[in-house]
Amino acid sequence: MSEKESIGTEQIEPLTEEETEYDFYFGPAHSGSGNFGVKLRVDGERVVSARADPGYLHRGFEKLMEYRVPMQNAVLSDRLCILEALNWNLVHAEAVDELTGVEVPKRARYIRVLMAELSRLQSHLIWYGVISLALGFDTGFKMAFGYRDYVLDIFEFITGGRVYPAGYICPGGVRRDLPEGYQEKIMNLLGQTQEMMEKIKDFSNIVFARRAKGVGVLKMEDALRLGATGPVLRACGMKTDVRKDDAYEIYDELDFDIPTEKEGDAYARCLIRDKEMEQSIRIVRQILDRMPEGKVREPEKITPPKRVKIPEGEVYVRNEIARGEAAIYMRSVGEGEPYRVKVRGPDFLHMIPVLEHLLQGSQIADVPAIYWSLNICPADMDR
Amino acid sequence: MADAPHRENKVIDEISSKFKVEGKFQRERRIWVATDKESLIALCEFAKGLGFEHLSAISVTDWPGEGTFELTYHLWSYSERILLTIKTKIDRVNPVIDSVVPVWNGSAQIHEREMHELFGVEFEGNQDLAPLFLEDWGGPPPFRKDFDWRDYVREREYDKANERERVYWD
Repeated sequence: MSEKESIGTEQIEPLTEEETEYDFYFGPAHSGSGNFGVKLRVDGERVVSARADPGYLHRGFEKLMEYRVPMQNAVLSDRLCILEALNWNLVHAEAVDELTGVEVPKRARYIRVLMAELSRLQSHLIWYGVISLALGFDTGFKMAFGYRDYVLDIFEFITGGRVYPAGYICPGGVRRDLPEGYQEKIMNLLGQTQEMMEKIKDFSNIVFARRAKGVGVLKMEDALRLGATGPVLRACGMKTDVRKDDAYEIYDELDFDIPTEKEGDAYARCLIRDKEMEQSIRIVRQILDRMPEGKVREPEKITPPKRVKIPEGEVYVRNEIARGEAAIYMRSVGEGEPYRVKVRGPDFLHMIPVLEHLLQGSQIADVPAIYWSLNICPADMDR
Repeated sequence: MADAPHRENKVIDEISSKFKVEGKFQRERRIWVATDKESLIALCEFAKGLGFEHLSAISVTDWPGEGTFELTYHLWSYSERILLTIKTKIDRVNPVIDSVVPVWNGSAQIHEREMHELFGVEFEGNQDLAPLFLEDWGGPPPFRKDFDWRDYVREREYDKANERERVYWD
């Protein structure tokens, strides 16, 4: 088996007549790959080695943020991952809050976590849809995307945007208070989501088990070595979650479990996300019960951006988003704009080292199952 | 500082007993340590031995004024539940530093590859620093402070002599 490092674009050697290996491109125009490709060196049906080909969504956000003030960057942070914009909003807002030392109102913290958990739920529904499609379970795909729309209705109701909330979670709190009647609508949504999870339970057990069990097994030591986090790491048996270990916002006041599995295969990763959806529903219920009154932003009035300076300092903020560990390193020198922003997306590690490692030695037919069991998002990898 | 949690200060003390570093307690679960580039690898190995087995990220900050690149290694310990950031500075004209791939393996490899592409830092010992995001890129490392992408795009993509494109120059 050839070394993983030796098959880059430049390093691929032309094949001779006698060799049976050939190159196979998964993506970037493949309907199920997202804006991302993997070059596979294949021998018969077996993948000899894989090389990730990122960059199709590289927009240079880290540099763009150096030219903008925090309230503008809040809007930009939506786009860090299309599939879970609100979670990235939260990471960015927390980094700025820690630098400015603003005391975020209690109600704003509850709303932030409420939105982050709904966003996680929504993101897991997309994942459920695409992995169903990848495994040939079309019913699951249509159902998940249908039910995801109910979550988007709530996003539209609260933030004004279905997919991009336009920086709803902003430095200092959230942009506006929850509209009247939100409890009823969200409770209704939770019921609908549970109904969907109940409906697909039997189907998915059969399809997922046949296609995903024993496929793409990630061992614990490899997971740690390659920088896997979140559900991918928990599927190997590590009980860790940034929400518990490095608690932010109000997560230390909430009651929820961290599901883990031991096998580390694609099926284990599916089970983890299924259980996480239940935990998110549990968290949202608690928040709705305890939602405090008060203001939702500090200061309440939005000041013209040019007058606000970020105090000098540096912070590293970590959050648990649907895909794993998200973090922002922010350095300020006392100007209106941050001096340096480094965005650490979970998929940067999952889509390059972890994916390359898992695909090596797999069958072509298993590539989609491995690919989507990692719940990848090219946007937060490329940034 | 006096009421700072014990765990964080213990880690700082352990590191400063072995290395000449500037340790700083920031808040609960956050400590920062500054060192020189010569003792970086030894310090990283020591930190990994203390339980900091997750390399969360490597970042570079460009300081053209003082002629340095500041590298930050953000490490998380699953057992101690502390985030340790190791900072070191290298020369901006000749940005060379030893690779931490022997310490953190695959995750270090990809972070270094990205920083090499965006800042032009050479990581000695990293076998694969091939371009990652920028295909056929001929310009300078784009995340450096002295790289102005607006100028770069205007020079390359717009023609001053062309009446319809002159607006980008005015």
